[in-house]
Amino acid sequence: MPGPDLLSSQGLRLDGRRPNELRRIKCKLGVFTQPDGSAYLEQGNTKVLAAVYGPHQAAKSKSSTDGVVVNCQYSTATFSTGERKNRPRGDRKSQEMSMHLRQALTAAIKTELYPRSQIDIYVEVLQADGGAYCAGVNAATLALIDAGIPLRAYACACSASMAWRAGQPEPLLDVGHVEEAAGGVVLTVAALPNTGSIALLEMSHRLHMDYFDVVLSRAMQGCRDIEIILDRAVRDHLAEGWTKQDIVTI
Amino acid sequence: MTGHVSIRLASERVNHSVSSSNELPRFYTPGEVITGMQDFMRGHGTYAEDDSLKASVAGVMQKVNKLICIRPLKSRYVGEIGDVVVGRVLEVQQRRWKVETNSRLDSVLQLSAVNLPGGELRRRSAEDEQMMRKHLQEGDLISAEVQSVFSDGSLSLHTRSLKYGKLPQGTLMKVFPSLVKRRKNHFHNLPCGVSIIIGNNGFIWLSPQKQDVLYEGNKDEIEEYDLQPVNRSDRETMARVKNCIAALVASKMMLDDTSIMFAYEESLKYPSVKDMLDPEAMLDIAFLAQHRINNAIEE
Amino acid sequence: MWTTKTFLTKTKRGNILKIVREHYLRDDLLCGSAACNICPHKDDEFVLASNPESICALFEYPHYLVLDTNVVLHQMDVLEEDALTNVIILQTVLEEVKHQNTAIFQRLLEIIGNKKRKFYSFVNEHHKDTYIERGPGEKPNDRNDRAIRKAASWYASHLSANNVGGQFPKIVLLTDDEGNRKIAQEEGIVCCSVKDYIENVNGFVGLIDKLSKNVIPESCSKDALYPAHLTPTQIHSGIRNGKLFQGTFHASRDNFLEGTVSVNGYEKPILLQGHIGINRAVDGDMVAVEIFPEEEWRKPSDIVLEDKADDPGDLLEEEAVLLNTAKPADNNKDEITPTGKVVGIIRRKWRQYCGILMPSKFPGATRHLFTPAEKRIPRVRIETRQSDILAAQRILVALDSWPRNSRYPLGHFVRALGPIGDKDAENEVILLEHDVPHARFSEAVLACLPPNDWTIPEEEIKKRVDLRSICICSVDPPGCTDIDDALHARPIEGTTADGLVKYEVGVHIADVTYFVRPNTALDKEAAARSTTVYLVDKRIDMVPDLLSSNLCSLRGGEERLAFSCVWEIDENANVLSTKFHKSVIKSAAAMTYEEAQIAIDDSARQDQIASSLRVLNALAKKLKRKRLDNGALLLASPEIRFQVDSETHDPIEVQAKKIVDTNSMVEEFMLLANVSVAEKLAAEYPQCALLRRHPAPPPANFTTFLKAAMQQGFEIDVSTNKSFSASLDKAQIPDRPFFNTLLRIMATRCMQQAVYFSSGTKMQDEFYHYGLACPIYTHFTSPIRRYADVIVHRLLAACIGEDVTHASLLDTKQADSICDNLNYRHRQAQYAGRASVALNTHILFKNRVEIEAAVVLSVKRNALQVLIPKYGLEGPLYLPSDKFTYNEEEHFQICNGVVLKTFDELTVRLSLDSTNLQHRKLVFQLVEPHIPGFSYVPEQAMDVDAKTEEKKEEKVEAKKRKEARDTKVKKKAKK
Repeated sequence: MPGPDLLSSQGLRLDGRRPNELRRIKCKLGVFTQPDGSAYLEQGNTKVLAAVYGPHQAAKSKSSTDGVVVNCQYSTATFSTGERKNRPRGDRKSQEMSMHLRQALTAAIKTELYPRSQIDIYVEVLQADGGAYCAGVNAATLALIDAGIPLRAYACACSASMAWRAGQPEPLLDVGHVEEAAGGVVLTVAALPNTGSIALLEMSHRLHMDYFDVVLSRAMQGCRDIEIILDRAVRDHLAEGWTKQDIVTI
Repeated sequence: MTGHVSIRLASERVNHSVSSSNELPRFYTPGEVITGMQDFMRGHGTYAEDDSLKASVAGVMQKVNKLICIRPLKSRYVGEIGDVVVGRVLEVQQRRWKVETNSRLDSVLQLSAVNLPGGELRRRSAEDEQMMRKHLQEGDLISAEVQSVFSDGSLSLHTRSLKYGKLPQGTLMKVFPSLVKRRKNHFHNLPCGVSIIIGNNGFIWLSPQKQDVLYEGNKDEIEEYDLQPVNRSDRETMARVKNCIAALVASKMMLDDTSIMFAYEESLKYPSVKDMLDPEAMLDIAFLAQHRINNAIEE
Repeated sequence: MWTTKTFLTKTKRGNILKIVREHYLRDDLLCGSAACNICPHKDDEFVLASNPESICALFEYPHYLVLDTNVVLHQMDVLEEDALTNVIILQTVLEEVKHQNTAIFQRLLEIIGNKKRKFYSFVNEHHKDTYIERGPGEKPNDRNDRAIRKAASWYASHLSANNVGGQFPKIVLLTDDEGNRKIAQEEGIVCCSVKDYIENVNGFVGLIDKLSKNVIPESCSKDALYPAHLTPTQIHSGIRNGKLFQGTFHASRDNFLEGTVSVNGYEKPILLQGHIGINRAVDGDMVAVEIFPEEEWRKPSDIVLEDKADDPGDLLEEEAVLLNTAKPADNNKDEITPTGKVVGIIRRKWRQYCGILMPSKFPGATRHLFTPAEKRIPRVRIETRQSDILAAQRILVALDSWPRNSRYPLGHFVRALGPIGDKDAENEVILLEHDVPHARFSEAVLACLPPNDWTIPEEEIKKRVDLRSICICSVDPPGCTDIDDALHARPIEGTTADGLVKYEVGVHIADVTYFVRPNTALDKEAAARSTTVYLVDKRIDMVPDLLSSNLCSLRGGEERLAFSCVWEIDENANVLSTKFHKSVIKSAAAMTYEEAQIAIDDSARQDQIASSLRVLNALAKKLKRKRLDNGALLLASPEIRFQVDSETHDPIEVQAKKIVDTNSMVEEFMLLANVSVAEKLAAEYPQCALLRRHPAPPPANFTTFLKAAMQQGFEIDVSTNKSFSASLDKAQIPDRPFFNTLLRIMATRCMQQAVYFSSGTKMQDEFYHYGLACPIYTHFTSPIRRYADVIVHRLLAACIGEDVTHASLLDTKQADSICDNLNYRHRQAQYAGRASVALNTHILFKNRVEIEAAVVLSVKRNALQVLIPKYGLEGPLYLPSDKFTYNEEEHFQICNGVVLKTFDELTVRLSLDSTNLQHRKLVFQLVEPHIPGFSYVPEQAMDVDAKTEEKKEEKVEAKKRKEARDTKVKKKAKK
């Protein structure tokens, strides 16, 4: 069976987590002054930066009267993986990831508010240790909130995989690089946990129907957990920023 | 090139928050339900879904009668009529200029909304259209006032006053629009000899003070003056003011002439302007300025 | 809830990488002790008893044991005894063991899983108080030792923390590492070596025997008999720069001083000769070899050599015999083989070996020699005090080490299997030696079974096609209780376009998958067993008896669930349409081959059964004709059947299996069903269909066979299976009817093994089945006794919508690993079956002597390999070198003008040599042609055989024994 040793007999994963536990998430909003919104997020050893510019006047070719145009760019730093690798900007992988980011974030942004405008979202992976896309979505959500762009709800992404423990399927939450590399399927879900809607589903391999529901619900649980963590970070950020403003306005 | 470069570890970063014992307001975050009742009006930063009013941005609630808004910590500039803005000309079009004002759509400066040389209101001729680029060309900075807001949210500007118009020599600073305090007057001549335009859109223009005489002078004189080099002491003072603003911004303090002046005065203990870029110094300046503001309020 | 810590690891993969991995430290890990009142245990989480009784005289107070890695690695057999309980296995240890030896790791998991043993695995690496970081410059081993000590002292303080009364278990650290022990004592941890501990254990006799011998380091050169092995790093760099090669060592069956290693880059396996050349490698080990320069290459010796019976002590005997003969006498390049020597062992593949003890001649001695049953394994020196009892028993022994100064590897006694000669003990040996899982079915497995009085539920009948009204019958060998297939045939209305009569023919296979549901304990057990193993007097079932001989077995007159494959066939045996469905059937009769044959032949019988059998028989003949025309091979292997005494279960007579028409009738339809199913599966599941392929043998396999046939005057064309088949048919010698069969037996040994595979792992053109000459094939028709068929049933049911799929079924990787296991078990089952035949042959000849006709299969330097067609027996006929002269070039033996060569027919005397209890063997003695002074002279004068040997003076090439000799190509749908 694929990856039978992803879970020890005591039910711990290779890094000591239990199957339903996320990696440690650390995040910070407003890390740059230049963009309208920015955020830095660490999910375990995966580290990403997100910057948001806009909404601003859309380029004529892209401009749409229906709503704001979301433009995403996902890129990976050369030093982000174990072996240094030069990745040309806009390689296939990044393009695909950009598309996926766009899909997830467009679902969250209230696009109809800003016709003829454009929002640029840049996500840079500084260190990739599995689940870079998820971290990218989470960081981008924070950056959007930092930029004051109206959202329906938090867009959170989380991955889940399958392992077996004592013959029983046991989905793993928030898959790290080691677990990703061990083979097995990785289901990535981007969702608006608040509304319960799913913005994007992506699966790396084939997974049998029987297990799909358990893996999906585990991933959704992860999204909900992430939302709580992100929400706390946003509130902390607000608390830090707001006090001085009010004092001055009095 | 030699010189000291100071690079800090992220872990040694200075916490810029200026301590305050104020109670925190209630915060709302995107997707959070504000109220379930329908007899409220939906304002900015909110949306209705499933019979309830939800926040779409992260911030505090402002309630005006039945209108509920959520004001985010920062956002793009949302213009209001009468706002003073500083902007940059992006494009010269037929009978109008496109101006970047940090708004979510580019603003428009109609040819009919500018004072053409000669001062008086006169008919715009086809010749004027061809001369538009002479007057303002791409990249020029202007100060202007919001004349009206279009239905899609974009702004129409005018410069039909002598205080508005093309900005000659000086420094532009961009800050978050939410940090700019709304005042009656956004043009200030600071006592330190720098004149400052605090645009509502978060663009701040610093320039050496002009002799009042010149306002009355003819066009050639003005141009000639504009081309003269600014002396060093003026430039240093401008840089100091700029760093003061940066310090206030880093601590997320509201900007107006008072806070900037307080900060400037406190900054004088740092003899070299350069030293003010040190994070500790920035915090120090912001903190002292805050202290003085608090004192001023108490008085 | 948890904190995090990252640590750095450097790995070499060409470049040096710095790998940062997360490592979460937890505070919610339990200590597992019932004496603990700190950890928030739930009731079922207590593993360690609160007041463990001490069994060791050294420690008279209750204590838990903490084991060091080396203890687990070396003393597994001690741990497997029920003596030691309340043991803490640290994760550090668990991981080191897993890394070093997966087999031991599995055994350890087994023990931990056994609730009675009270082994608790403690995750010290993720516990916030016991995790330690590797210090700068600290070796991983030292770090692990430190981690173990840290955990031990944590346990000690943890247990004492809230137990003020002093009634708490102490911790004893068992380690064989002296350095570790010393530091532990300094740190105040109670510790002890395993030897001291076990020797002071009361009440468990025989535990000491299981103690593994201490390993003498490789570097110790005192009294060394063997050259030292290279260190792993030396081996690694040697392999990297191309000086050394790695491969699996295969010892020769015939010559204990010879073996081969197949390595990359050499077409032929590398030859290893002599004690020094083999240098302590044991069959199956992964070794590193150095290859000699070309001028020192030799050819494999062709003598048969067995280790001497007595223990010569730690001396290596003269190898002159071997070395003399091995000189390259000619420049015959074909026979020269790359030669080399073992310079290091990369991985030992030691398992436990069955065999017998050869007690030392000195009474009271504790060191004895052990002779394994497997000839390829060297003798083992073990220490036991029970030699008197064990001498008459079959015993199981584990290897521990093979130090340089010992002629034999050192091992220790594991358990006794039973008295020598006892049927059950002997069968046990066969099963163990062939790794056949044969334990009784576990409770969990039996719980998956339906009740004994199970009948088909109504709703199940409704879901299926009801064929109970159709006259279906089964045809099987006599005494068969696991009937997996039944057949029917009936004419149907209408004719084909050419005006041919149409028949409906159905093959109905027992629906095992109805009972064996995926991922149940029953399914896992069946998958592990993979096949039912048939010994002469015993059947090791793949599924429990209730299923195999009752609920699944398509018995006559009983309603059974079946999986049916129904064709429309015209009278020329062209398949017009095929359909598959699940059904309910009621077999009209369960017949034997002979009964069916009689029914067909008896023209008086006009009942439904007889007429449908006749249709089937007629169609089968046409099908067979077509198949042969396509190039299917008819091969032969000597198959015999024992007549077993009903009381003693001892064989009383042996005879070759009788083949009647109905055998091939059933076979043809099973083949047709298998092919039909294979086509369907391959179309539906391009990635995970389980199929069976038979690769065409490489031409090199045939060279010796072709030469031998040429000597008899036959040109065999092996270019395609079609031409091969045709030329085999032509090779007949009128007055030697057995010759053609012999030729086919030899041809069989040139074949490759047919294997199961998953369609995702091979290209379409590799699916070909050479022996059957069909492009695609699988096994569908015997789900009761083959797990492959179970999988195939599931796949087929899923694709016709009669059953749901499940995940593991569609996983290519998993399918591949299932195939590997199937192939392995299948092969082992065949070997076990053969071993059982050999065993029974020995029993048969225990009290008798026979004189029989024999044929020479090949000529060796000191023996002839002969076959007794009547018994299908094969064995060496030793020729003393003082009488016989071996002609190396022409491959014949000559003595007083009598020439013996391949294909010659002889008469031999068969008897059993029981002087060596371990290897009781059949002795072949030459009777005819008569060679004075050598041949056995029967007491009564034998009438001289009329057909004396035709002495053709053509060159005779000796046949080398091939691996492929075990190939059994002829697919039998029935046993």
